[in-house]
Amino acid sequence: MRTLARQINILDYALSSLWRRRLKNASVLVVFTAVIFLVASFQMVTDALTGTAQEVLVNAPQITLQRMSAGRQVNIPLAYAGKLGAIYGISNIVPRVWGYYFDELTGANLTIMGLDTSRMPMGDQLRLTLAEGTFPAAGSRGSVVLGQAVRDMVRARGSQLLSLFRNDLSMASYQVAGVFSRATDILTRDLVVMSIADARDLFRIPPGQATDLCIYVANPTEIGTIARKIADLLPDTRVVTRPQILKTYRVVFGWRSGFGSICLLTALTAFVILAWDKASGLSLEEKREIAILKVLGWQTADILAVRFWESLLVSGLAFLLGVTLAYVHVVFLDGVLFRPVMVGWSVIFPPFHLAPAMNAQVFFLIFCLSVLPYLAATVIPAWHTATVRADSALSGA
Amino acid sequence: MMRPAHILLLVLIVLLAADGFLLLSSAHRRARWREQDRLRAIAVSGLGLTDLCVATEARYTRHPAVTDLVAPFMDHPGAMDHFPSGSFWAPPPRP
Repeated sequence: MRTLARQINILDYALSSLWRRRLKNASVLVVFTAVIFLVASFQMVTDALTGTAQEVLVNAPQITLQRMSAGRQVNIPLAYAGKLGAIYGISNIVPRVWGYYFDELTGANLTIMGLDTSRMPMGDQLRLTLAEGTFPAAGSRGSVVLGQAVRDMVRARGSQLLSLFRNDLSMASYQVAGVFSRATDILTRDLVVMSIADARDLFRIPPGQATDLCIYVANPTEIGTIARKIADLLPDTRVVTRPQILKTYRVVFGWRSGFGSICLLTALTAFVILAWDKASGLSLEEKREIAILKVLGWQTADILAVRFWESLLVSGLAFLLGVTLAYVHVVFLDGVLFRPVMVGWSVIFPPFHLAPAMNAQVFFLIFCLSVLPYLAATVIPAWHTATVRADSALSGA
Repeated sequence: MMRPAHILLLVLIVLLAADGFLLLSSAHRRARWREQDRLRAIAVSGLGLTDLCVATEARYTRHPAVTDLVAPFMDHPGAMDHFPSGSFWAPPPRP
């Protein structure tokens, strides 16, 4: 009980001491908070995106087969699907024709997807993903299903039809059969789904070719083995497996990106400056204060406790404020500060209703990287001064 | 008059209460997101989707999982990666 009372008295003294130098301490608190806010915001945004990708892309095609020529992806002949018949274990091969359409009026890039949905897993349930309308029957021509952003574009033009230009500038118009739900925005916002024949007609792709092949195997544990067999059989192809897609999304949002590196370097530089300022020694006034306290009978341990409390209060408050503001920024403001970099010049992008998992490991890491070095950088110079005899400290001052 | 330690305690209580509220709100949001998991699973399976629709400005940020590794520089000689989103995305791992 007496120890607690003593610590509360020391805490009172530390708070009064912080208040005496409030301008300096407030500026350290603001900078510290801003740095922790930047690091935590980036970590939360990338965690949320990585988590979302890992959750939803677990249903991506087991194997995607693309043909490569001269270092670029080119159309794949449908005859390749016939060659794969020799590989035991493949249960289904579905060709897709897909690509991008640049809308000059709005500057938006649309993703056009043409495939026979009746041959895809869960293809018969796609109507459940629609907010309105129906999914056109497999093979029916002239109807499309649109993502929310594309529907908004069509509406803004006051039209009931989606009109796109072919390569030769002739126009193709499609009836809007359905619109994807907002729940799938993170996947379908820029999507235009049509029959494979319509997509071939739009992109002028010959009937015997496709953009890629989705391959499904009977036993999911054999994906890697079958992918290797395909790569051996068709050496001019690139085989992308579902585990590879998930691996890509585990690393693609991270500190190694240019923006991530800048955030990290900025934070590190700020930490180094703060720590250097503290570690380079105490000011004359602080040294004199410590000497007077010693003359008054304070022990070295008491002085260290005051300095410890001061540093813990500044860094702990900065940590709490920084993390709280970062969460508000990411969840309630949809990461508004990062959005210009995340989406760049995209005209179409999802509303980013990010729901980061509150991962204790991340907070612990940020705590260890910010609060602990600050504590060390503050307490060590105080210990140096506190161990000097009071009279020599005063005379030195 | 309140002791400084008591004022600090009040500040900490307010901050921690705000954090507790945010934690509950986070759990609520995630629960709402989970309710729609099935729709996203159907969309990904039924359409064979390979990527998230986060940035649509460049094909290597719209579909990083199935894009060419050197896509930012292969459109024409001297074509640098000029899309801002290219700086947010780390390069995908080599297969």
